Parts: sequence; structure tokens; C-alpha cells
Amino acid sequence: MIELQGVWKTFSVGPVRVHALSDVSFRISRGEFVILTGTSGAGKTTLLRVLYGAERPTEGEVEVLGRDVPSLGRSEVAALRRSLGVVFQDAKLLPARTVYDNIAFVLRALGTPRSQITARVFDALRKVGLSSRAQAYPAQLSQGEAQRAALARAIVRKPPILLADEPTGNLDEGMATEIHDVIKDIWTSGTTVILATHQAGLAAVLKRRTLVLERGRLIKDQG
Amino acid sequence: MVGFLVSEAFRDLRRAGRVALSAILLITLALAALGAFWIVTSNLGHAVARWRDRVRIVVYLRHEPDAAALASLMARVKAVPGVAGTTYVSRADALASLKRVLGKDASVVDQIGQNPLSASIELTPSADASTPEAAREMLARLGAMPEVEEVAGSADWVERLSEWQRLLGMIGLGVGGILGLAAILTVTTATTLVLHARRHETEIMRLVGAPEIAVRMPLLLQGMIQGLLGALLAVAVLTVAYRLAAPHLEPLMSLTLGLGEFSFLPPAGLAALIGAGTLLGALGGWLARAGR
Ligand SMILES: Nc1ncnc2c1ncn2[C@@H]1O[C@H](COP(=O)(O)OP(=O)(O)O)[C@@H](O)[C@H]1O
Ligand SMILES: [Mg+2]
Repeated sequence: MIELQGVWKTFSVGPVRVHALSDVSFRISRGEFVILTGTSGAGKTTLLRVLYGAERPTEGEVEVLGRDVPSLGRSEVAALRRSLGVVFQDAKLLPARTVYDNIAFVLRALGTPRSQITARVFDALRKVGLSSRAQAYPAQLSQGEAQRAALARAIVRKPPILLADEPTGNLDEGMATEIHDVIKDIWTSGTTVILATHQAGLAAVLKRRTLVLERGRLIKDQG
Repeated sequence: MVGFLVSEAFRDLRRAGRVALSAILLITLALAALGAFWIVTSNLGHAVARWRDRVRIVVYLRHEPDAAALASLMARVKAVPGVAGTTYVSRADALASLKRVLGKDASVVDQIGQNPLSASIELTPSADASTPEAAREMLARLGAMPEVEEVAGSADWVERLSEWQRLLGMIGLGVGGILGLAAILTVTTATTLVLHARRHETEIMRLVGAPEIAVRMPLLLQGMIQGLLGALLAVAVLTVAYRLAAPHLEPLMSLTLGLGEFSFLPPAGLAALIGAGTLLGALGGWLARAGR
């Protein structure tokens, strides 16, 4: 489902060259829950960006859902992303729209028939436990609720893969646990999940396969 | 999808707020100026065309030419630049038409015994002679021919009118063009604001793999809507101004130009203004987009 082979990503900042990813190889099968960890600056975000086509690797092969990602053109990257859900530390909700409209926005931008929108939005909200907040504006949400809304938006099209980049980075422990429970539910219903976090403890708590990055190198793959 | 794109465009327009409003008003101004000059020049154009038809220049001849001399003279007259139509009036023709004019008093003419009238050629000037210089040149050439006694009538003032028409047309295009340019720049500014206000939407759309057209279309559409609204306003302004001014202008027009009615833009002209406005807006929207 996801396969990386000898992937390098090198950034040049002036005369300085940073290897954000150094010779990274791994394979993830359908239905896995994988935790990607490592200290800040280890290359987690870069790795996820390579997976959804936001960053082209300097070298190496990247295959996602049977597609050779580095070779994709703009519209093919768009097509790939329609099969991926992505969430970040920051929920990235549109502030002038309600939770409902934030999620409906994605469906409308992708041409979903109007008649299906309401049902699908509420279906997604139910999965993250946010049905009662559909008409709230982002500013009225707690950070945990905002992250749930972002998750609902990411899964509303039922993508086979969910990529989460530090989704609980802004949250206190209780809220983080809630979000992890929601992500686990999403995984249980059949979605392949990659969860990036710099909190090493979390990997132990979640008891899942863990990839550890250190300065761009994959130093551990266990579980 | 179309509903989504249009509603996003209107949302963007609201966000651009005052700048979008000034863009719309500038487009209104540009197109109203263009339209007003267009109305005035086309009415002057009607007057010029009508008067040019009516203007007769009469070339009086020293002697009645014989057939061969006439043919050569007519050929030379026709060759003068600016001469459109020619009619030869012999001395007998002239006498006959005089008699016709006099009617029952025609016997007066018979008492003169000899025909006192000259042969002449009546000319209608062409559009080529529409500059005063060209008209003057034409008259001078005709007057210089040895057979010619005198040239009567002058198209000078009609030509001056047509000169005015063209001058006003140029001013109209100039003013409309400058305002139009300002309008495009303002639409571009409004769109740049929209682009900034829209960056989160754009980011989300790209992230979820929305087709490029869904990402870009709202921007182009909001520019086009600005242009369309501006153009519709301009048409409204022109219509109202025409309704108010025409009753006062018409008597003046008929007195000075002999033009019975002061006409408005034809439907095609209005459609052209609306199309131009929409295009201006689209251009503004597109320029802002191209800047990134
Ligand atoms: N666009 C970029 N330009 C230059 N350097 C970058 C860029 N993106 C990431 N980096 C560098 O690559 C390394 C990995 O960054 P990142 O993938 O964000 O790590 P993580 O998400 O694990 O904190 C860091 O040293 C970072 O400074
Ligand atoms: Mg990161």
C-alpha cells in the first residue's frame, strides 16, 4: 500500500545542505497502524509530505496506493490526495465557516452531489463524536473539538489512508488521549493510519508498529 | 459544482469589500465615459452623413462644352480626389428646371429671348474629402480648371463637424482607456486581497485534491462579477442620463444639426459594453492570479 525504497530528501539553505531524509526504506500494508516518531527535526513532517506529494524526494522510490508519487503531475497528485486524509497539529479550520460548512466545503470542492452532502458530513461528525457541534464556529471550539473537526474533514470521503502529523501536539494529556481514541476508531473501521509524533512515550502507550527517525535516518522499525 | 464556484466567488467579493466596490465603480466610470462619448460621436456621425449627402457643390462652366470636350472635362472632374457623384447640367437643362421652378410665371423667361444661364456640374463630395484640408484642396483643383468659371458651395463646415466627431471619438477612447486601465488595476488589487483572504481555502482545497479549476475559478469569477456589475451599473447610468438629457438635447440638435432625434446606443452596443466590462474584470482577476 505504501512503499519507500532508498528515499533521500536534501534541502539546501544557502551553502548548508540538510538531509531531512537519508536513505529511508520501509513498507506499510493495508490496515496497519504505524507510529512515526523521532525528535523535532528528525524528518517526520518531510516524510509525510513526500507521501502526499507535497515534497519531491531528491532520490529514491515512493509508491502510494500503486502510484509512483515522485513522477506524478499536478492533477495526478490531486487525484492521489483524494484518497488520503491529512491532519496537522493545527486544525486548519476555515474561521468564517461552521464546523458543518468546513466539512461540506471539501465535498463541494470535489463535486459531491448536493443531496449526499448533509448525510456524509453528519456521518463523519458522528465518527469523531462531534455531531452536537455542527453549527459551532471554530473560535467556539476547544482545541480537542477543533482537532476532531479536522479529523472529520479528513475522513469524510472515506480515504483508505490517514496521515496525521502531530495531531495532539497542541493538546493536554486528556484531550490527546481522546484524539488517539478517535484515530484508533478510524483505524478499526479499516483505514490505514500513519501517526507522526515527537512524544516518544506515546509510541509505548499505543503499542503499535513504530518507525523511529533520527536526523533523517530510519533507525528502528519495530512492533 | 457551478453553484459552489459561484457562491465562493461571491463570498470572496464580500471579503474584498471596499476595494471590490471601488473596482466596480471604476469600471462603471470607464464604461459610462466610453458609452457617453460613443453616443455623442455616433449622433454627430449621423449628422455628418446626412449633411454630406445634402451638400451640393456646383461648378459653373464658362462655355457650354461640346460632347467630346464634356467627356474629357467630366473625366477630369471625376478624377479629382473627394468627388463622389457628378451630374452635368446643360444650359438647356438649367433653363428647363428654372421654368419648372417658376411654374406659371415661366413665360417671363421666354421674354428674355436668349438663355442667360451657364452650364454646370453638380458634385457630391465623398467621405475622402472629410478633412477640411482635403475639401479645400478639392475646391481649389476644381477652380483651377480652365473651363471653370466659378465653384459655389463649400463642404467646410460639414467637414469641421466630422473633424469634431473624430476628435470626440479619440477623447472618448482615451478617457475610457485610462479609466479602464485604472479599473483593471483596481480589480487586480481586489483580487490580490481575495487571494490573501482565500489562502486557507486554497490550502485546504489543494490538500484534499480539489481539481485546479475549483481552486482557481472562484478568483476569475469574482473578477468577472466585478466587471459585470460595473458594466450593468454603467448601462443603467447611461440610460438614466439619456432619458433625462435627450428631451433637452433634441430641440438643440434639430436647430443646429438638423437632426430630428438624439439616438441611444443600439442593443449590440450595450451588449458590447457589458461584454467589455466582464472582460475587464476577468483580466483583473487573471492578472492577480498570474502574479503568483
Ligand atoms: N522547506 C525546507 N527547507 C529547508 N529545510 C527544511 C525544510 N523542511 C524541513 N527542513 C529541515 O529538514 C529537517 C527535518 O524537518 P521536519 O521534517 O520538519 O522534521 P520533524 O517534522 O521531524 O520535526 C529539519 O532539519 C528541517 O529544518
Ligand atoms: Mg514536524
